[in-house]
Amino acid sequence: MRSARPLALGALSFAAILFAWEAGVRLGWLNPFFTSQPTAIARALLGGMQSGELGRAVRVSVEEFTAGFGAAIAVGLALGIAAGWFRPVEYALDPFIWFVYSAPLIAFYPLFVLWLGLGAHTVMAISFLLSVTPITVNTIAGMRSLDPLLLLAARSFGARAHDRLWKVALPASVPMIAAGLRLGVGRALTGVVIAELFVPSGGLGSSIAYNAGLLRTTDMLASLAVIVVIGVICTQALSALEAQFSSWRTGPGL
Amino acid sequence: MTVHVRIEQLTVEYEKPRAQGRFVAVSDVNLDVGRGRFVTIVGPSGCGKSTVLLAVAGLTAPTRGRVIVDGKEVTGPGRDRAMVFQEFALMPWRTAVENVRFGLELQRWSADDQTARALRFVRLVGLQGFEHYRPGQLSGGMRQRVGIARALAVDPQILLLDEPFGALDAQTRETMGDELLGIWEQDKKTALFVTHSIDEAVFLGDAVVVMSRSPGRVLETIAIDLPRPRTIEVTDTTAFVEYRRRIRRLLGSGQEAHG
Amino acid sequence: MDKRLAISTASIAVFIAAWEVAPRLGLVDPFFTSRPTQVIVAAADVVRSGTLLRDAAVSLSEFAIGFALAVAIGVPLGLLLGTFETLRLLLDPPIMAVYATPQLALLPIFVLWLGIGMSSKIAVVFLGASIPIIVNCMAGVRHVDRPLVVAARSFCATRLDVFARVILPASLPGVMIGIRLGLSRAVLGVVVAEMYVSQDGVGNQIMRLGSAFHVDRLLVYVLLVSTFGLAATSAVRRIEERIAR
Repeated sequence: MRSARPLALGALSFAAILFAWEAGVRLGWLNPFFTSQPTAIARALLGGMQSGELGRAVRVSVEEFTAGFGAAIAVGLALGIAAGWFRPVEYALDPFIWFVYSAPLIAFYPLFVLWLGLGAHTVMAISFLLSVTPITVNTIAGMRSLDPLLLLAARSFGARAHDRLWKVALPASVPMIAAGLRLGVGRALTGVVIAELFVPSGGLGSSIAYNAGLLRTTDMLASLAVIVVIGVICTQALSALEAQFSSWRTGPGL
Repeated sequence: MTVHVRIEQLTVEYEKPRAQGRFVAVSDVNLDVGRGRFVTIVGPSGCGKSTVLLAVAGLTAPTRGRVIVDGKEVTGPGRDRAMVFQEFALMPWRTAVENVRFGLELQRWSADDQTARALRFVRLVGLQGFEHYRPGQLSGGMRQRVGIARALAVDPQILLLDEPFGALDAQTRETMGDELLGIWEQDKKTALFVTHSIDEAVFLGDAVVVMSRSPGRVLETIAIDLPRPRTIEVTDTTAFVEYRRRIRRLLGSGQEAHG
Repeated sequence: MDKRLAISTASIAVFIAAWEVAPRLGLVDPFFTSRPTQVIVAAADVVRSGTLLRDAAVSLSEFAIGFALAVAIGVPLGLLLGTFETLRLLLDPPIMAVYATPQLALLPIFVLWLGIGMSSKIAVVFLGASIPIIVNCMAGVRHVDRPLVVAARSFCATRLDVFARVILPASLPGVMIGIRLGLSRAVLGVVVAEMYVSQDGVGNQIMRLGSAFHVDRLLVYVLLVSTFGLAATSAVRRIEERIAR
């Protein structure tokens, strides 16, 4: 119910922008060489879909994204649970997590190329590193924010350490883990796209870079449009998932 | 009357944060609880009555003294004791019936037993129809019923209740106290009930243990000679009023004596 | 606190030790990983020859100009959008769409528009930093406690008073969060932009050293950039904490 109005306004807003854009070009205010126009972009997208070019680029990017993000989930959860449960592990990992989180990882690009070659593996590695940190950090936070009373209650019924981990700590952390996944998805996608600007792996970012070299604005923006749509879909999907898993969080002081 | 729980010279001390010395929660508490008796512990805030309960539950180690249940010293939690918490301590992601299963799962009852007992006790505490509601969707009184059901489901020998109605409003407290007695009458398990309400202590208990202000020690144990089953009308009788007066005076003087 | 610091420091020490020892033991090829000692030597070289200073100066100025613009424009814009409901509802969807996408994908377009000089880098920094700033300033305003505003009005505060004395101070945490997030995007932006195409600057140097396989010098630049990003972010974090008090 509540989401209908913002959605309608959003659509209206976009429509208005597209309209103004197209009009601006046709009226001669905007130079299509620099900005292209919505109709041309739409035509390019259609052409790309028909020729299969767009499909191939999307598939490459999605494969790289899946591999990078998938690995990030596995490693992020494993590290996060270990660090969340055992404080010394958290203390030991802290500096590295902080570094990977705040340092501009793309600066390591030449090193990745040296180690992994100029291909999809480098893209996956960058995507992995970018997204593993929010997942790890959020998992740790989720486990640390556990209500100690719940652990006491579990102990009163004879729960041993592994019971307390699997039956109390982990279920309680699910909302924060879901939030971490949502944050990670955006960063994983960003990693893929940025890495593809440099690595000619055949993905969407690569086609932007390729078309930029040929000064083909329309094709560049067409690839960009696809990236924007994918980004919005992924974030929305994970937000919905997050809301689903946090449904029992009805309020403070439960 | 056989002694079920014997608390011997129980002293519990905690380290104060930032190495400021030790905080004495309870000091030299001696108490015998007979089998099948409902004993209430009353005292001012911070007097350590909850600590006594935690020691019996095996969740806090005594600094000195010990707790003996059925002739064996308590060294940790056990299947013979179950606790009900003031803040309910329910897992918010589990439904009511899943919460009641919690203790059964941890104690590795058979899967069939788990299901059957969980449903049975949810209904026993009057939550028919609310089995699949989460705590967030239940009122305070209902949540505590789940807490009570969870404790009863594991078939403990001893029920430990830590101010279970403390987080509820006055009217719900009365109703819940009544219902608790109704449930208790069926099994007559040994029960230790901590409260800061004198009325509640007298109404529910076979005996009331009055504790002093911190560091907590037992001022007196008063046997409550009122007929069972107890109804709410008993709170208007002269006997009840007399018990109340006696305990109030004890608590007042206990406070003065420890200045 | 002590235990935490001890273990963290020990962890870093172990890592650096392993990094130094593993190539010497022949476990890894130092061509691929270099060694801490080699990196330090390279750092001395680069500093002495003045190349580091020159590159850093270029990058720093692109970063500073872009970020300053982002704060100067983004903060007022964000606060404004947060205050005026209708404006926000209109502009929220496109802003959120831009936030959700990798802005650095626009890099080639900026180069197309602004060339390979400093202006395209400044534009990338500006865009990268202003979006989180705007979004978080908006959120900061929207999360101001309604009762505070009502209380101010009950004391006959004018709209300007309410804005300056209640909304502004109350949204400060949100503003600081936006600035911190914008900062890391700004650092990322300038490095990536320079790596993509430019004539000088740290990012450019990274690419050159990379293609020439000068791993030790490369690491000097990479660590420099990382340290800068970390230092800047912690500085903002410390300011945030002081404000929170």
